[in-house]
Amino acid sequence: MSGVCVRICVAREHYALPVEQVLEVAEPGDLTPVPGSPAEIVGVRNLRGQVVPVISLAALLGLPNEEPKRIVVAELGARRAGLAVESVLDVGELPASSEPTESPYLSGAALIDGTLVGLLDVDAILSPQGSLEASP
Amino acid sequence: MSATDEEIYELVRQESGDCLQRMETNLLALESGSAAGEEMDAILRDAHSIKGSSAMVGWQEVATLASAIEDRMEQARERGAFPMEFADPLLRAVDILARGLHGESGIAAPLVAELAGLGSRTNGEAAQPASDERPSAEQRPPATSTIGAAATVRIPAAKVDRMLDVVGETVLYHRRLEHELGSTLDGGQHSSVLDMGERLLDGLQDSVVQMRTLPLSTITARFPRAIRDLAAQEGKETEMTISGAETQLDRVILDGISETIVHVLRNAVAHGIETPEQRESVGKPRAGRIELHAEQRGGMVAIAITDDGRGVSPELLARAEQSGSLVDILAETGFSTAEEVSDAAGRGVGLDAVKLHVESLSGSLDVRSKPGRGTEVTLLLPVTLALMQVLLFEWDGHPFALPMSSVGRVVAVTDTTSLGGRSSLDIEGEAIPLSDLGELIGAGSQTPAKHLPAIILESPARRLAVACDELRGEEEVVIKGLGALLAGVPGYLGAAILGDGRIALVLDPTHLLKAPMKAIGFDRPPQAPESRPTQVLVVDDQFSARELQRSILETAGYRVHVARDGREALRQIGESADIDLVLTDVQMPEMDGFELLEAIRADKQHGSLPVVVVTTLGDEQSRRRGAEAGADAYVVKQEFDQQALLETIDRLVGM
Repeated sequence: MSGVCVRICVAREHYALPVEQVLEVAEPGDLTPVPGSPAEIVGVRNLRGQVVPVISLAALLGLPNEEPKRIVVAELGARRAGLAVESVLDVGELPASSEPTESPYLSGAALIDGTLVGLLDVDAILSPQGSLEASP
Repeated sequence: MSATDEEIYELVRQESGDCLQRMETNLLALESGSAAGEEMDAILRDAHSIKGSSAMVGWQEVATLASAIEDRMEQARERGAFPMEFADPLLRAVDILARGLHGESGIAAPLVAELAGLGSRTNGEAAQPASDERPSAEQRPPATSTIGAAATVRIPAAKVDRMLDVVGETVLYHRRLEHELGSTLDGGQHSSVLDMGERLLDGLQDSVVQMRTLPLSTITARFPRAIRDLAAQEGKETEMTISGAETQLDRVILDGISETIVHVLRNAVAHGIETPEQRESVGKPRAGRIELHAEQRGGMVAIAITDDGRGVSPELLARAEQSGSLVDILAETGFSTAEEVSDAAGRGVGLDAVKLHVESLSGSLDVRSKPGRGTEVTLLLPVTLALMQVLLFEWDGHPFALPMSSVGRVVAVTDTTSLGGRSSLDIEGEAIPLSDLGELIGAGSQTPAKHLPAIILESPARRLAVACDELRGEEEVVIKGLGALLAGVPGYLGAAILGDGRIALVLDPTHLLKAPMKAIGFDRPPQAPESRPTQVLVVDDQFSARELQRSILETAGYRVHVARDGREALRQIGESADIDLVLTDVQMPEMDGFELLEAIRADKQHGSLPVVVVTTLGDEQSRRRGAEAGADAYVVKQEFDQQALLETIDRLVGM
């Protein structure tokens, strides 16, 4: 798969997701934690009158946790969630992913200028089963 | 054929369509071997629902096929395993049911016979003849109907919902505007403009909500005749009365509830009402009485279905006494109040389905029964799902909300008593378990500080005190869903966006009341109750203010009554000769504090009742008006001083 992607940085690793699945990039804002929810859901955020769950990508991908600095709002059909990331790097063409990955949340990876970039599977990330499975 | 009938048919079609979808999913899961008992119970419940509602509207063929499915599932459940050879015919039966619901007739008989044959092969029973499957005009749902009233406009419900969403947002932005203006400008000048805006918005919101509500009569009109027919089938005689059918309910709630009420009515006829001979032998009139009464209670609607039949057995009532809830005992799947299974309602699946459905609408179910005298089933449902009156509070630094319909009162935690390591509060002589919210929603508990407020949650079966950090007051909010990602997290009804843009999680009281409880961390010996305490009536339209005053006064040993406005206060004063003092707010709907004061002074019997006025109005004019109207004391909220208030009251009534 190739196409225009938004590249992001999580725990010093690089990831990307298709630009058409990104609604906007927002500040972390005021997060309301939801007690009892899976560990990777850090809370819900008010996004212009909508209640949007925010997922910590670091927690989901098993990376060291960090204070999120940006929220990438991903949308697929009627499902919507904010992905907490360290930073948004750039938007650009991504070559076809050549490297296989083991993570259920990645559809593949590609090598760009010596850096491995994981391609996020937004469908899997926005699926409730996915996130509940990962909970203790 | 009236418009009402067509509306009912449409409701039955919609409800049954949902049931069919679930049945198909569950059958497929059973066929694939990846499912077990829970799916069988679910299919049984759905078949039972379809049977009930289609029989009620006279679609006999659909009802017969649903009953045949029910028979096979019942058989499978008794065997504890789902026979694979059932899957295919049952799936085909689901398809036929779908076609039958949309008006096709004369298509069910072969499958009814096939399903009966399946049963006899495995059980040795005789296949039932399918002679009553003749298609007739009666069982064919009518296609369309004409609408009589020219002044009526039909609008798709989705459009009204969209409008309500936008109005809800507008209300929020108005609150935010108020918030921001309030902090930059000083009060007075702009506030009347904002007030007017708020009043107009309130009116707009109310009228949109009303567009979503319909009278209960849209679903009850057919009940009496259907009940008479059902009773005749059972060899019984009944008289049914309906009152309060003009009560309004949200369309979404109304949609699902007719099926549920049908369950309860059928139970009453099949299990409750005795045969005419049995009734005569115990000195009752031959015809059993079934009453359906609906009324609005605040933001809730109570629908009570009463019969004067045999009631629940004394053994069951004794069990209910021990476990605390008759509803739960009756709702246990597989349990039936009748000794024999009849075609009418039979297998005890009914109340389980009723309870699940009512709770899914954030309502509650209550059953009372007297052996030999009858049974009363009460469904308590919110008037509307979109808007909810909630109590806002802070816990662990974040706002939470609880539906007011489940909040009994609020107290300050001062003394607790402990039994078996569990803390309880002593409320009017009753020990109510005290829990920490974190414990109830699985977030781990915090050590609570003393003197924190506790919210008393109430259900018909149970009371529970939940400790929180701080109360924020009562508010009407628009409830939003938490979305698919969080749908699996138990304990929440949704979320509400507050005036300051923060999100308050709206807790599900049903879940909290079910949660197991542990003690929370502090304990003190109980205080001896005061004898013959002085009685104070607190009048305030704001829940939090009312409860604050209540807790101050109760801590000081007074017995406290509360009223929400002047009118309610006057009624209480008239009814109870024991009230020694009135503590009233000024600004209230219906009848304000000054009007209340004037009304008390004008009353011969209670004219000399001491009245203390508590209000935010600190200006000289209000003080003068209070004094002219005959206030004994005047306390301004900004200067609210517990000690001064208690001293003032003590001076007036001398404890």
